[in-house]
Amino acid sequence: MDTATAKKVDPVLLQLQGIVGEKNASDAKHIRYAYSYDLSFVEPKLPDYVVMVQNVEQVQEVLKFANQEKIPVIPYTAGTNIGGLCIPERGGILMDLKQMNKIIDIDVADGVAVIEPGVSHAQLAAELTKLGLRFGWPVGPPSASVSSCAISHGIGGLNARYGLQSQEITSMEVVLPTGELVRVGSCAIQKNAWHSTLPLPKLDGLFKGWLGSSGVVTKMGVNVHPAPPLLKIFTVSCETVEEMYSYMFNLSNYEICDDITAVSWWLSQVPIPYPYTPKPDDAAEWNSYATTFSWTEAERDARAEIWEKVVAEEKAKGSSIEITHYPEEALKGRTQLPSQVVGSTKNYCKQGGAGISWPGTFTPAKKWAPVYTRWREILIGHNLSPSVRMSMYRGVHYGMLRAMIPFNKQSKEETENARQAIVECLRVDLDEGGIPYKPPVDFAKEINLRADQGYLMLLKRVKNMLDPNDIMNPGKLGI
Amino acid sequence: MEWDIASLEDLEHYIWRCTACGTCKVAYDFGPPSTCAPICPAGTEFGFEGNMSSKGKIAFARGILDGTLEFDEELLDDMYRCTICGGCQNQCQLDHKPFIPEIMEAMRRKAVEAGKGPLPLHKNLTQSLKDYNNPYQGPRRLRTDWARPFKKAKKPIKNIMKEPAEALFYVGCTGAFNQQARAIPTATASLFQKLGLDFGILGDNEVCCGSTAMRVGDAEEFKRLATHNLELFKKLHDEQGVNTIITSCAGCYRAIKKDYILSQDYDQMMDGIRVVHTAQYLHELMQKGELPITGELKTKITYHDPCHIGRHLNKFEVDTEGSELWPGAYLGMSEEDCIYEEPRELLAAIPGVEFMEMERNRSNSYCCGGGGGVMTGFGEWAAKNASLRVEEGMGTGAEVMASTCPFCNFNLGSGAQRIQSPMKIMDVVELLDQVITEQE
Ligand SMILES: Cc1cc2nc3c(=O)[nH]c(=O)nc-3n(C[C@H](O)[C@H](O)[C@H](O)COP(=O)(O)OP(=O)(O)OC[C@H]3O[C@@H](n4cnc5c(N)ncnc54)[C@H](O)[C@@H]3O)c2cc1C
Ligand code: SF4
Ligand code: SF4
Repeated sequence: MDTATAKKVDPVLLQLQGIVGEKNASDAKHIRYAYSYDLSFVEPKLPDYVVMVQNVEQVQEVLKFANQEKIPVIPYTAGTNIGGLCIPERGGILMDLKQMNKIIDIDVADGVAVIEPGVSHAQLAAELTKLGLRFGWPVGPPSASVSSCAISHGIGGLNARYGLQSQEITSMEVVLPTGELVRVGSCAIQKNAWHSTLPLPKLDGLFKGWLGSSGVVTKMGVNVHPAPPLLKIFTVSCETVEEMYSYMFNLSNYEICDDITAVSWWLSQVPIPYPYTPKPDDAAEWNSYATTFSWTEAERDARAEIWEKVVAEEKAKGSSIEITHYPEEALKGRTQLPSQVVGSTKNYCKQGGAGISWPGTFTPAKKWAPVYTRWREILIGHNLSPSVRMSMYRGVHYGMLRAMIPFNKQSKEETENARQAIVECLRVDLDEGGIPYKPPVDFAKEINLRADQGYLMLLKRVKNMLDPNDIMNPGKLGI
Repeated sequence: MEWDIASLEDLEHYIWRCTACGTCKVAYDFGPPSTCAPICPAGTEFGFEGNMSSKGKIAFARGILDGTLEFDEELLDDMYRCTICGGCQNQCQLDHKPFIPEIMEAMRRKAVEAGKGPLPLHKNLTQSLKDYNNPYQGPRRLRTDWARPFKKAKKPIKNIMKEPAEALFYVGCTGAFNQQARAIPTATASLFQKLGLDFGILGDNEVCCGSTAMRVGDAEEFKRLATHNLELFKKLHDEQGVNTIITSCAGCYRAIKKDYILSQDYDQMMDGIRVVHTAQYLHELMQKGELPITGELKTKITYHDPCHIGRHLNKFEVDTEGSELWPGAYLGMSEEDCIYEEPRELLAAIPGVEFMEMERNRSNSYCCGGGGGVMTGFGEWAAKNASLRVEEGMGTGAEVMASTCPFCNFNLGSGAQRIQSPMKIMDVVELLDQVITEQE
């Protein structure tokens, strides 16, 4: 039988085409190839089929079929997670959800937007600005999905005020791996009420932060907020990570900022130098920007007064901190979000080329300095820039600590060099109590090596309850 | 004549600059206010990541280069399901940005060299180029059919092969052979005559600019036609006093300005010759006060930017030697050559016209769907995509969608017909011809 005839009779493809239509299911190699890699160092692997679902019923039918046949299913919206999470470990059906992209409702009074998984940051931003509303946009690609970022515990520009993207989730509709349609949060009780996951048991947790997913989210409510008109960005620089941590800790106590972020000199460069370039002696090692939005000038000035007090206090401690000018292009890229420039990875990859991976972690703030110091050694040792970001999360003194590591993906050696450096960095962070987010399988295994046995047992049991045939992107949990 | 036309292998370094970030999938602008709209006709219709924007096409290129992908029928179809409109290119910010359409076409060239491309329908087109010197299988004598009424009206257009003239009006095959698009050269010549310009046409000596051959990857056929034209242009300059070539076809304009420069002899051949699009030429006259608009048109008009005289004319600055950043670094882009404002200003100068802008305009114009061989290879999809553009225009309240390309004109016309839209599709020149009367 020639390949063309063999293809025609592939029963799985026929079945999938029966569900989503002939045009929306494919096993053509070039179609699968375009889903086989992402930005990260994770080795490319091809799915066996790609389906482009158009509605909830199709999602259910595909999952029922896959569950019955025990075929892996990998949900996908834009594949920009930087962790290889959409690269199939065991082949299967890649379920592309980007065409389910309706903004179902924006309820200004409730402050909730109800969206389908294919809704991108750019799409939601364009609608929200019309209504004078805002959301915590990440510095990722504008075409990436809002809901995928949220279920992966993503981080946005309002994280110091409202927390992670996942903390903004108010309700969800999810198709279980077995095909049943379930709802969590208020929409489970009243179909059109999307305002809150509380005071019910937080069952939304069953579908958030799972490497490889535990169901397919088909609708999500997220909080959206009124956008105050006056932006003020507090920018400082200082010589050492310890001084920067001290300043951020101090400032975050006042809870006046939407985002308190510091970046090392290497990350403030556009683009990140690749390979490693020493920092000029006269440049500060750390720059910080902290954004505040106010309704009135008096409010803005009051916030500025607090900030100046914090800076004065830090100076009194002997810190090298200075109110400074943050490089304009870099500042724009981090405050005018979503950003096409940063989202297109220009600020990160333009010199490195094609590849980017990160040890991206949630780490206690008090550990930032020791972890950074080690990371710096490791990364420079690998001839990579220690381009590190630290961001405070809402009301708690832990936050994001991550190094954005670009590399030349055309070269296997350079890719492997970056991978080794990143895994080494990750071990250091894990040992200090940090936890990586959206991690590739290598990292998931490192997490599990350190995990409490009871936690692992619970994780397995919950996963098994939701996904008895282990079809949801299997192999990613590292257990 | 020697040509510097890149192979896919030559571009491999650039192919590896794409991070697969997907920013090329939408035209997004921070604003404020933020705006966001689909930009890729192929992605809009076919949707898989491979179909989407430069992200997808570069994936194919990588797969071909690393040996994973072979030129099978399905791959070829998807490689040619791209209008090479450059909408995706406009969004990307990395070092390969200047080379994105080049990568897409180099992939097609590789397929053609391997004896696998272009698609069968394209082969009819390239065969027609070989047989008739035009892509429409149009016998040579039909090329001047559009000009007959001028002869009849005793206002014959100069045959530039026989009579000297300051300007050559290079008509292009679509204007000459496509029934609907013939209105464009007709209006252009009529207007030029009213304005008393010294111009001539090549008549049945005109041969295709080669754009379609280049777009579908047949570099050899392109070189044959382009070489012929460059030599002819030089001859016309030397012997007939031609200093200006005016074309009302966006595709021809793009070919002469951007593809012909790949010839090592371009500067020598084109020395002393200026190439302008009709919209530019008329705009210059308007600025000099030599475009006497006397009539008025009480109508709402929107303008569709053809890709070929829009973002295809972006000028990219690349650090070839690495003196500023590193070898091959993309430094910046200038839109100074893009013909965005001229047509708009011409339309705005017509009394009574109310100009309505579509959301996707200028560098983020949404391609009509006809370019890159798509109208030939996938006629139905091309018209379907054009319907989307017409609907966008209808959303502005416009009654007329003006453009400056016979190709867009025809495809948008099919799109309008498909959805039974009352939108009239017209060329800027046709509209101007209605409001300019004969000079005394
Ligand atoms: C330059 C750059 C900067 C970035 N900056 C940030 C940042 O500041 N903050 C941040 O949080 N992220 C950032 N990211 C990561 C990423 O862009 C975001 O997390 C993004 O929103 C993910 O969306 P996506 O559509 O690409 O998701 P995908 O990568 O397609 O999916 C992410 C995960 O969700 C799963 N999934 C997808 N859809 C569903 C569904 N419907 N149901 C269940 N599971 C599903 C996938 O299988 C995968 O595991 C950045 C990425 C880049 C390239
Ligand atoms: S072509 Fe440019 S914008 Fe598109 S995916 Fe590649 S790097 Fe990103
Ligand atoms: S050139 Fe146009 S049609 Fe082709 S991939 Fe880019 S945006 Fe899509």
